[in-house]
Amino acid sequence: MTPVAGALVPGMPQLRAAEPAVSWKELGAAVEEVGERFRARGVETVLLMSTQWFTVLGHQVQCDARVAGSRTDENWYGYEYGRLRYDLTVDGELAHGWADAIDAAGLQARRTRYPGFPIDTGTITAAALLDQAGAGRWAMVSCNLYADPSAMAEVAGAGVRAADGLGRKVGVVVVSGLSSGLLQRWIAPAEDRIADPAHDRWNRKVLDLVRAGDRDGVLALREEYARAADVDSQFRAFAFLAGSGVVDGPGEVLAYGPVWGTGAAVVWWEPGRQ
Amino acid sequence: MGRVFHVPAGSVRSAHRRAAGLPVAAAADAATQQTQQTSRPRAGFVAGYLAPHPPHLVYAENPPQNEPRSTGGWEVLRWGYEELRRRLRRHAPDVLVVHAPHWITMVGHHVNCVPRPRGVSVEPIFPHLFRYHYDFATDVGLAEAIVDEASAAGLVTSALREEGVRVDYATIGALHLANPAWDIPVVSLSANNNPYYYSEASLAEMEVLGAATARAVARTGRRAVLLASNSLSHLHWDTEPELPEDMSAERPFSHQQYAGDMALLQTIREGPTARLKTAIPEHIAATQAETKSGSLTWLLAAMGWPDIAGDVLAYGTVIATGNAVVEWVAP
Repeated sequence: MTPVAGALVPGMPQLRAAEPAVSWKELGAAVEEVGERFRARGVETVLLMSTQWFTVLGHQVQCDARVAGSRTDENWYGYEYGRLRYDLTVDGELAHGWADAIDAAGLQARRTRYPGFPIDTGTITAAALLDQAGAGRWAMVSCNLYADPSAMAEVAGAGVRAADGLGRKVGVVVVSGLSSGLLQRWIAPAEDRIADPAHDRWNRKVLDLVRAGDRDGVLALREEYARAADVDSQFRAFAFLAGSGVVDGPGEVLAYGPVWGTGAAVVWWEPGRQ
Repeated sequence: MGRVFHVPAGSVRSAHRRAAGLPVAAAADAATQQTQQTSRPRAGFVAGYLAPHPPHLVYAENPPQNEPRSTGGWEVLRWGYEELRRRLRRHAPDVLVVHAPHWITMVGHHVNCVPRPRGVSVEPIFPHLFRYHYDFATDVGLAEAIVDEASAAGLVTSALREEGVRVDYATIGALHLANPAWDIPVVSLSANNNPYYYSEASLAEMEVLGAATARAVARTGRRAVLLASNSLSHLHWDTEPELPEDMSAERPFSHQQYAGDMALLQTIREGPTARLKTAIPEHIAATQAETKSGSLTWLLAAMGWPDIAGDVLAYGTVIATGNAVVEWVAP
C-alpha cells in the first residue's frame, strides 16, 4: 500500500514566531495545510524523518510510547520561538515494526527509548504545525549523517512495509530545508532573504522539476544541487521520499521562501491523485 | 540514578584560593574579587589541552554521574586523561575554558553565561552510553568578558542566559575527563558550525575568537586552562558491536587516517605551534578531522601560537576516530 500522501516541510522554528516574516508565516500556514489534508484523508500515523535528528550509528527509531517535555534551542534560545514544548504520541507498534524492517533490510536499526531523550527542533516545529490539537500519532526515524541516498530510500521503504503489515494508513513527512546560507547575524524578520541569489535559482530549478513530477530528474540533479547550494543534508530527504513511493508524480509547492537566509519550501505529493 | 549528581565545591588544592565554605558558583565570583585584591603570579593561560570528548571514555569509566554501566575499554586514552588530571592539579587554574563542537550554533559564537548549569544530558547519538547528570559552576565574569571582547572584535556573539539549554556531550565529556570532581569553574564556548548542512567553522574566525578569549582572560586576571574538545581523524564505523567496549572491534578506520594523525602529532611533538597553522588545515583535508569545528585553532590562537612543542599524553581510536590527549604548557 502506498502512503496516502507525502510532504517536505522546513524545520526552522521561525515558522512559529509570534511576529513572523512574511515567508515564515506563509511557510507555517502551508505546513498547517498539510496537516489538515492528512486529517481529511484519514491518515492514522505520520512517518517522519527530520534532518535535525542527525545520527552517525545506524538508524535510530523512536520507540518511546510518548515523548513529552520542553526544549530550549541551543541557537535560538533568545527568541520566543526557540523555547519549545512538545507532547507526541508514538505509534509504538509501527515504530517497532519499522525498526524490525530496517534490520531485515540489512541495515542497523537502533531502538531509542530513554527518558529525557532530546527531541530535535525540526521535529517539534513540524509536529506542532501539522497537528495543533496534538491528537496525531508519529513514527520517527533519525537522519544518519553518512547514509547514502540509497540507504535513506531503503529506510523509508522499510517504514512503508511495516505500515503495510499493520494495515496502517500513513502519510510521510520529511523535515528538511533547501539551500543553506544562514545569515550570520541577528536579523529582524523583515530583513530575511535567501542569502545567495544562486541558491535561490537552484532551489527554484529543483522545485520546477518537483512540480513537473520529474522524480528521476531531481534525483539525478541532487548531488550537484547539494554542492552548489549547500543543501540541507545534501537533499537526501528527497531520496527518503522517493523510497517511500510518494514522489512518483507531480508535487504541489504550497510555499517557498527564506528562513534566516536559507531556502525553505512546503511541498505536497498525493499519489492517488496523479 | 534518579538525582542530579553534585560534588561539593573546593579541592584541597584550590581551597587556598577560595573563601572557606563558598559553593563553587560563589567561588567563581570570589575569584574576581581575589584577583583584584592580591597579586598572584602567572595569571593568564597556564596550559592548554587537546581534550577529546568521545562519550565512550566517560561510559568506560563508570562515573556516578553517568547512568549506563560498562566493563571498561579504551584504557590507554583514559590513562592519558589520568595524567592530564595530575598535571591540571599542579597548574591550579581558576577556570577551565572549553570550546566544544557539539554545542552547535548556526549563528555566531555563543558563551554560556548561566551561573549554574544543571540537568541531565541524554546524548542523541549515543544515548545508550551517555546519560550524564551535570551540575557545575560557570565563571560568569570571564564568560561575559569573552562575549564583550569577541563582539568588540567584530564577531557575531551571544551570551546564553537561558537555563533550559541542554549542555552537550562534547562540553561535558572534555570537562569530566579533565576534572571529574567539577571543582573548578568553567566557561564554555559554542562551535559556529552546522553539520546538517556540512558547513565547517571558519578557522580565521577561530583566530579572532582565540585572541578575544586571551584579552578577556588578561582583563579579568584569571589563571586559565584551555580545553579544545576535538577528536582528530573523524571517519568512523556506522555500526557498533553488541558490546560497545569490545576492543577487538577497535582500530583505525584506515591506514591513511592513522598516518594523517601521526603526521599531525609528530608536528605537535616537534613544535613550534606556528607550524600547526598550516598542518591543521592539511590534516582536516586529509582526515575529515573534527578540528574543522575550530576548537584546536581557537586554543592555540588564545595561547598566542607559542614557540613550544606539545606533549602527547595518549593516542587511541574510538569507533575508529583518532583521539589524542595533548598538553601545551605556556612558556
